Amino acid sequence: MSCIGDGERREVQITAYLDDELDLTSVVELESHFERCPACAGELAAQRALKQAIGAADLRYRPGPDQVRRLRRQLGGGQAPPAWRVGPRLRAVAALLLVAVGSWTLGRRWPARPQVPGAERSDGNAGVAGEAGPDASPLAEQVLASHVRAQLAGHPEDVASSDRHTVKPWFGGHLDYSPPVIDLAAQGFPLRGGRLDYVGGRPVAALVYQAGNHLVSVFVWPADGPGAAPTVRTGASPTGAPAAGGVPPAGAAVASSRRGFQQLRWTQAGMAWWAVSDVAADRLDDLVRALRAELPPAGPR
Amino acid sequence: MPALSQLLLPTAWFAEAPAARQMPRTHDEDAKRRRFEADILPHLDAAFNLARWLTRDDAQAEDVVQTACLRALRFFDGFQGGNPRAWLLTIVRNSFYTWIGQRREQEQETSFDEEVHTAERAAGDPELELLRHADAELLRQAFAALPLAFREVMVLREVEGLSYKEIAAIAGVPIGTVMSRLARARRHLQAYLLAHGVGGRP
Repeated sequence: MSCIGDGERREVQITAYLDDELDLTSVVELESHFERCPACAGELAAQRALKQAIGAADLRYRPGPDQVRRLRRQLGGGQAPPAWRVGPRLRAVAALLLVAVGSWTLGRRWPARPQVPGAERSDGNAGVAGEAGPDASPLAEQVLASHVRAQLAGHPEDVASSDRHTVKPWFGGHLDYSPPVIDLAAQGFPLRGGRLDYVGGRPVAALVYQAGNHLVSVFVWPADGPGAAPTVRTGASPTGAPAAGGVPPAGAAVASSRRGFQQLRWTQAGMAWWAVSDVAADRLDDLVRALRAELPPAGPR
Repeated sequence: MPALSQLLLPTAWFAEAPAARQMPRTHDEDAKRRRFEADILPHLDAAFNLARWLTRDDAQAEDVVQTACLRALRFFDGFQGGNPRAWLLTIVRNSFYTWIGQRREQEQETSFDEEVHTAERAAGDPELELLRHADAELLRQAFAALPLAFREVMVLREVEGLSYKEIAAIAGVPIGTVMSRLARARRHLQAYLLAHGVGGRP
């Protein structure tokens, strides 16, 4: 049995295999080859170990607050809104005001509580996976803005801790509800902490996870709140096993993308959830799948 | 006279000419500016990250991003939708090469230790453990030591999470080249980590 190639060609194949960039036929061929060829299996193990280390490390360089300010000011030219010229603190206040006004408008369109609780959750969208294009709901824009703002300000979390026993009580002291806080380090998405945000006209919890070199914000608030309107019923299988009918477990989460960011939203455990990140769509999917497997299934309400 | 200002402004804006800034702007330009802010500015972090890895210097990265963003704004009309992050990163990369070309401060390019000896590569369990537990600091050193052509594809893949196709478009090379650069980059990284990691040879 001859090998798939010597040196370079073998490395290229294995690299593409680990990067998920091979077509299915080649994957199948390669996998059966690994079983028979110790040299290739060794190469695979080494590359996988390296990839694992890279995936666990944060290698992203982020601009400092001063650099962000300078860059944005310069881009703003003479027309920059005055808020960009002032310090980050004032900028945050201005942003908050903006969001508050926006959500007030929004609040008028969506009453704080639906008249028939749960009615929206059984709408016809259940089970729709992967809406193409951007999510039209204004909340989608708000959670994205919130995620981006926190990153640009170099302040992704208010409480930085990977210990959920630190993060959860912290939220308890700042919110009128207690969001589930789950660390996904074992699944490759360590919890970095949490922050408070203002979405849909109310303060909400945002959990921050590390996904390789990307940050993921997971917003969570009670499902019967203002955010319930655009959400859909959860699927029957939060366990990670494929659900009946071939629908993937994250199938009941609605995916959308806008401006290079991915969003996934769903309801579960009585909460509305939104995950936002610029990580690749399949990685965000993995994270959401892992998170949903840890949450209690949404009981019939 | 709107027609005239439309002709003049796109270039005059950034020439740091205060007079140009005072000129009335058309609705089109305001709309364009707003779209630019909404689509492109959220990816400033990614732009900085790539520039920082390419230049390996904080202040120089800022220079490159600054140039790139101004170019991006100027050429924003040519942006046909698609992935704004990949589009901005292409401009960052081009700006970097223009900048390095001006300084013509040689990158030792691909010539660097071309043949990493096979014997130094991972073989047994201890080596695998060492690779697996390489920390961020060591990995940063290893990435920084990569030749430029390898470093950029590695950062686009492992830090930005872009697909081979997107990387090929950004770097202006065929996908096959992206694949072989990634493979060789990983070989370099393995060798570096084994040589410099805890327990490795000094």
